[in-house]
Amino acid sequence: MVWLLTAHFAAAALAPLLVRWWGRNAFLALALVPAATTGWALAQALGVVAGTPVGVRIPWAPEYHLTLAFRMDTLSLVMTLIAAGIGTLILVYCARYFTDDEPGLGRFAGVLTGFAGAMVGLVLADDLIQLYVYWELTTVFSYLLIGHYTERRDSRRAAALAINVTTLGGLAMLVGLIMLGEAAGTYLISELLADPPGGPLTTVALALVLVGALSKSAILPFSLWLPSAMQAPTPVSGYLHAAAMVKAGVYLVARLTPGFGDLAVWQYTTLAFGTVTMVAAGWKALRQNDLKLLLAYGTVSQLGFLTAVLGAGTRDAALAGLAMLCAHAVFKAPLFLVVGIIDHSTGTRDLRELSGLRRSMPAVFWTSVLALASMAGLPPMAGFAAKEAVFGAFEHSGSPVLLVALVGLVVGSVFTVGYSLRFLWGAFFDKPDVPPTPVHPPAPLFVAPALLLGLLGLVGGPASSLLDPVLAAYADTVPWNAGNDPAHLALWHGFNLPLLLSALCLAGGLALFRWRTAVAWAGARFALPDAAAVYRRIVYYIVSFATQVTGATQRGSLPIYLGTILVTLVAASALPIIQGRLWTLEAPPVRWWDTPVQFIPAAVIVAAALWALMARGRLFAVVLAGMTGYGTATLFALQGAPDLALTQFLVETVSLVVFVLVLRRLPPRFSTPVLRTRRVLNLLIGAATGLLVASMAYFALAGRRAETISGGYPAAAEEAGGHNIISVLLVDVRAWDTMGEISVLASVAAGVASLLFVRRRTRRLRAPAVPGRLSVPVSSATGSAQTDGEWSPLPLGVAENIVTVRAEAKPLWLPGVLALSQERRSIIFEVVARLLFPVILVLSVFLLVTGHSSVGGGFAGGIVAGLGLMVRYLAGGRHELYLTLGLQPGVLIGLGMTITTGTALAGAVFGTEILAGGAYDLHLPFMEPVHLTSALAFDFGVYMLVVGLIQDILYSLGSGIDEQMERERQAGRAPQSEEVTA
Amino acid sequence: MEAFLHYLVPLPVVLPLFAAGLKFALGVRLQRLSQAVSVVALAAVLVIGLVLLFGVDAYGPQVVQVGGWEAPIGITLVADRLSTLMVTVSSAITLCVLVYSVGQGAADQEEATPLAIFYPTFLILVAGVSNAFLAGDLFNMYVGFEILLTSSYVLLTQGGTAARIRTGSTYVVVSLVSSVIFLVAIGLIYGATGTVNMAQLSVRLGELPVQLQLVLQVMLLLAFAIKAAVFPLSAWLPDSYPTAPAPVTAVFAGLLTKVGVYAMIRTQTLLFDNDALNGVLLWAALATMVIGIFGAMSQNDIKRLLSFTLVSHIGYMVFGIGLASLHGLSGAVFYVAHHITVQTTLFLVTGLIERRGGSTSLNDLSGLAKLSPMLGVLFFLPAMNLAGIPPLSGFLGKLGLLQAGVREGTPLAYLLVAGAVLTSLLTLFSIVRMWNYAFWRDPDDGRPVALGTLLESSEDDSVMGPSSPAGISVVGGTRPPIGIGGKAVMTSDVFPPLMLAATVALVVLGVAYTVFAGPLIGYSEATAAELLARTPYVEAVFPGGVR
Repeated sequence: MVWLLTAHFAAAALAPLLVRWWGRNAFLALALVPAATTGWALAQALGVVAGTPVGVRIPWAPEYHLTLAFRMDTLSLVMTLIAAGIGTLILVYCARYFTDDEPGLGRFAGVLTGFAGAMVGLVLADDLIQLYVYWELTTVFSYLLIGHYTERRDSRRAAALAINVTTLGGLAMLVGLIMLGEAAGTYLISELLADPPGGPLTTVALALVLVGALSKSAILPFSLWLPSAMQAPTPVSGYLHAAAMVKAGVYLVARLTPGFGDLAVWQYTTLAFGTVTMVAAGWKALRQNDLKLLLAYGTVSQLGFLTAVLGAGTRDAALAGLAMLCAHAVFKAPLFLVVGIIDHSTGTRDLRELSGLRRSMPAVFWTSVLALASMAGLPPMAGFAAKEAVFGAFEHSGSPVLLVALVGLVVGSVFTVGYSLRFLWGAFFDKPDVPPTPVHPPAPLFVAPALLLGLLGLVGGPASSLLDPVLAAYADTVPWNAGNDPAHLALWHGFNLPLLLSALCLAGGLALFRWRTAVAWAGARFALPDAAAVYRRIVYYIVSFATQVTGATQRGSLPIYLGTILVTLVAASALPIIQGRLWTLEAPPVRWWDTPVQFIPAAVIVAAALWALMARGRLFAVVLAGMTGYGTATLFALQGAPDLALTQFLVETVSLVVFVLVLRRLPPRFSTPVLRTRRVLNLLIGAATGLLVASMAYFALAGRRAETISGGYPAAAEEAGGHNIISVLLVDVRAWDTMGEISVLASVAAGVASLLFVRRRTRRLRAPAVPGRLSVPVSSATGSAQTDGEWSPLPLGVAENIVTVRAEAKPLWLPGVLALSQERRSIIFEVVARLLFPVILVLSVFLLVTGHSSVGGGFAGGIVAGLGLMVRYLAGGRHELYLTLGLQPGVLIGLGMTITTGTALAGAVFGTEILAGGAYDLHLPFMEPVHLTSALAFDFGVYMLVVGLIQDILYSLGSGIDEQMERERQAGRAPQSEEVTA
Repeated sequence: MEAFLHYLVPLPVVLPLFAAGLKFALGVRLQRLSQAVSVVALAAVLVIGLVLLFGVDAYGPQVVQVGGWEAPIGITLVADRLSTLMVTVSSAITLCVLVYSVGQGAADQEEATPLAIFYPTFLILVAGVSNAFLAGDLFNMYVGFEILLTSSYVLLTQGGTAARIRTGSTYVVVSLVSSVIFLVAIGLIYGATGTVNMAQLSVRLGELPVQLQLVLQVMLLLAFAIKAAVFPLSAWLPDSYPTAPAPVTAVFAGLLTKVGVYAMIRTQTLLFDNDALNGVLLWAALATMVIGIFGAMSQNDIKRLLSFTLVSHIGYMVFGIGLASLHGLSGAVFYVAHHITVQTTLFLVTGLIERRGGSTSLNDLSGLAKLSPMLGVLFFLPAMNLAGIPPLSGFLGKLGLLQAGVREGTPLAYLLVAGAVLTSLLTLFSIVRMWNYAFWRDPDDGRPVALGTLLESSEDDSVMGPSSPAGISVVGGTRPPIGIGGKAVMTSDVFPPLMLAATVALVVLGVAYTVFAGPLIGYSEATAAELLARTPYVEAVFPGGVR
């Protein structure tokens, strides 16, 4: 049976292609798949009814109790025959309902076939979760089918309504199913029913499952979606809303009743909701003018009927319910098909406009008569036999609840007769003031499916006693029968109460039809509110509530977001601190100072930090922030960490310069301060956070129980052959961190360049820059200043309007200054810069090489070299910067990263482990052997990358901004400041 | 096999970095070679991830003591089931996104400049993500976070348009704050325990006074919860993600939040062995799910809507973490893998929608199913997957979590089950709304943008940013689609083949999770068992017991 399902979904996937080839006749080919399923089911029927179910179990994900478990017992057999059999007929009908050029027909055919497959899967599933899988698949497919006419707003809305409502129920059901499965310890339905769990949780679970079943079967209060779903093409209504999808809920009730039918929650819920739905929807059907809507409400009413009967929990009711379910499928589907035919042939389905169809479409008329007779419960139709059985079962039960329900069912049946007559009269009979409707006769293949089903209903009545053993095979699984002998289906039981009730129904129905105007008036007078409007109102309330919640939480303000984070942090940390009274922890050996000198930098830091908070000028604030950094560096130095101090000093210096460069483009002062109350609040939050972190630093040390691992560092440094622990940590022990951090630097460089350069539409340079040659714009006025678009912009040699000066022809301290205006030059600075530069470079290399054993390292060396570049730029302007290094920052950064990562890889290839160290003594003539280590290579990569980063920053924030400002000056605008940060 | 396996562990970090270095050095030269380098690097990482996936499953956690320095002196990299799974899924995603962006860059004929920055930065991001997953050292995990965050700052502000910078600054500042909290927590933990090796911490943290443990745990969780966008720390996300170019948003949405989730899992299972905060996590999960999906309901912009569903579904994973049971964790792990994939896919599809329809606003879009049935299928499958429609992986993950919740059986767990179900329903509601508007409406009902329209970005495109009132997208506000480098994009009905291929590959990957649900769920379950046992991890790092 797995293959049959696969065939459905494969056919569904192929359907668009088939429709493209064969047009609407592709449906005939697709019909073969459900037809084969029907044939297969019939072939298994004898064995199944005899009590040997067909089954297969394939484990899927055992941890989640997912099993592909299929099992066909009698109930599944009957449902399969209905789903697949009617599915076959519907597909045949589709082949004539649509035209070849119907838009979206391929998709429709695929979805409909897929739906048939999902339905077959649903009724065959023997696993709760798997059942839910197919359940939701039918929901999704029905969404696509109901929304077939996508351009109609009503159709889209109806589809959304259907999927939302049925999924609401479906999800509730999922929880219920999981609760059942967990309570029973098995998710297999057959095992669950064999040993049903009990207890209050099971009650809740069943209630949730019923929410799903009721919503799927359009029982009140979920019934609203079904009438709207009539927006779908008629074959869809005929299949989904008569034979297939809505039957899923009823099927689930029937499926679980043998296990839980004696529980009050099960019985009372199904009986109450079923009966009320039957009466209310039947009442509504009585005044519909649209034939399809009349059927829709009729269907809701009948579904209520089925739910009540199948959930009643006695063996006879189960028998009667299943019979009724079959009868309903066989009479409701043809009626929908008939509506489709009428709509197709006349162009309307409003019963006020239809007249005389009895004569013009006799075959359709007689089909309808058969189906309606069955629906109204007239002998000798199948519907009659089933309804008799229902009345009998409820009457014999002796339970007062069932008797009360019986009253409701009879009233509902009266309405059923009434709207059946209304349908017959409205669709086919002559109306005095309406001219006979012009008809375009339907093709035989169009009518055949409906006629076949109508005839089945006719055969089903007399044959009911033959079918009795089949249906009884299911009914006998319900263990309770109120002490009665099992009832049997038959057309004639003699004169008894059920027969009397049937007659009463008929009489009542005739009366309702006789006074149909009054009924319609009363119906409108005592109408339930329009369900679709109620739904829209509910959705409106939910959405506007959601919007309010979102508006309250999603303020769009960065300060609020930060405030939330910090307040959460403080509140969440303060709770355990106070609860645990952390201050009572045994105090650590607090040493408040090592030398009193430390107080000076500490005081400077505190003062500068506080002052920075109040500063209004940006530059001033930056300088103050820098002072906290220098103060920290001093503290490091006093603590005996020269490496940290050196690095910190260098970084602070570079940062200051960078800030100054950037501040050229920002307003000199911060924007207007926020409200005073907000400032106080911010101050409180900030102070609380600071207090938290400071006190936690104390508590953390107070709580320490173990030695730190840093005790092992001196030995590690020794092992690595270095004397500088910091450096050994950076390039050897924790070189992996360093590798990560320099890639951070690389992305920072990329980001800086990206922000500044990418927005310009630029052309690539063809001519490469020649180091040592200098180009200066002839006239700055003409400067369209096309810069190179590479992320390392080299405005050298920008085409025609450039004079090139040979640097060697005109010896200068700094050749780049030629491009500077006179007032910006400073001879002394130039001379100093030129003299210092080589010294700085040598120093940087020195720091790089000696890092392993004394103060220094690649990072510090790189910054020093970068500072050299910075000096050249400050003294000589941007052209000088371009001339200083022939390499572009991208190349430096790239090579740096390649070298470090390459060293890391080499460690794995040549050594024992990634980043493993290696050494090589280089013997040069006349020199001491040079000890080259892989750590040095690694550090060299770091060095290059840092140089590249600083060069990149100077290119972007230095000369890049220079260029922008020059251009703006040429364009006659004042340098424009932008506020980019929030 | 086993002996050589651990050599592979650092490669998911080193290879992308090496490739990024090459690409920086190449700059705008040799475009084809340069692109081949990145694709090959990420493809290699994917293969390595797959090999490790099977290897770790067979031989247990693989440990590398970097540079041969034994733990706890040196840095340890650990590939256990969880980190390997994360690395594998993320490399599959990043490879697809890379191919997509290559296609997009080529199609838009972007200038070489932005792309010369985009690709290496993207590779660095990938390396950072892998590093965060593989780190067996808390400080190194911080380094991993820094790598991925810094490159994400660059990627988010690509092109430097006003909108991107404005929203980018929210993202950058919030991320910096979370990093500072993380760093402070590391400092405090080092102060209290004297180590940052995670295996060693799993022992030493337990020796601290309980309430001190709790504060440290709270701080770490908060830092990660900001990254993972857990309510009430989630508001930054929908404000910052939507303005970035499609591939960037895709990888952010799919991956970056999950790094936070991953770190939360590690905190709750490896580092701290207590259940004191599980209740708090469950409440946070509930709020995240429900308030997140409320946000999605009222959005008119697809990107923003998807960002809210992203936040909301983070709640599912936190739900699993908070349950802290075998099934809860296994559900969370499976859901992480699923959600990375599906969310990335949806944002990539949104990129295609933008390209076809000229907008991502539901007010403008219409009739896409008719205009491009292909796009319809590509959207519908992952969208239904996100909504948790069976038998797609979103349903399987949800199923695992619901089962775990029901098994837990406490009132709070049932409340969470109800919240999860409600979230699932409202997700479907939002998706149906998107589908009804963008795909089903008659093409003339929206404000169709003609094919071949050049969608320029204006400097004052101030619509979707945090400046919009109350964070609700402004009706009628459309933000023109922008290429990777901030360049204008031409609407077209022909999708660049690479973009399409990458999207299709991801959709197929999402469906494959269902097909291979058996082994995948088995793997998640084994992962959860390994996490809860804690010993496999610790013993792999310290074979002779923790010193």
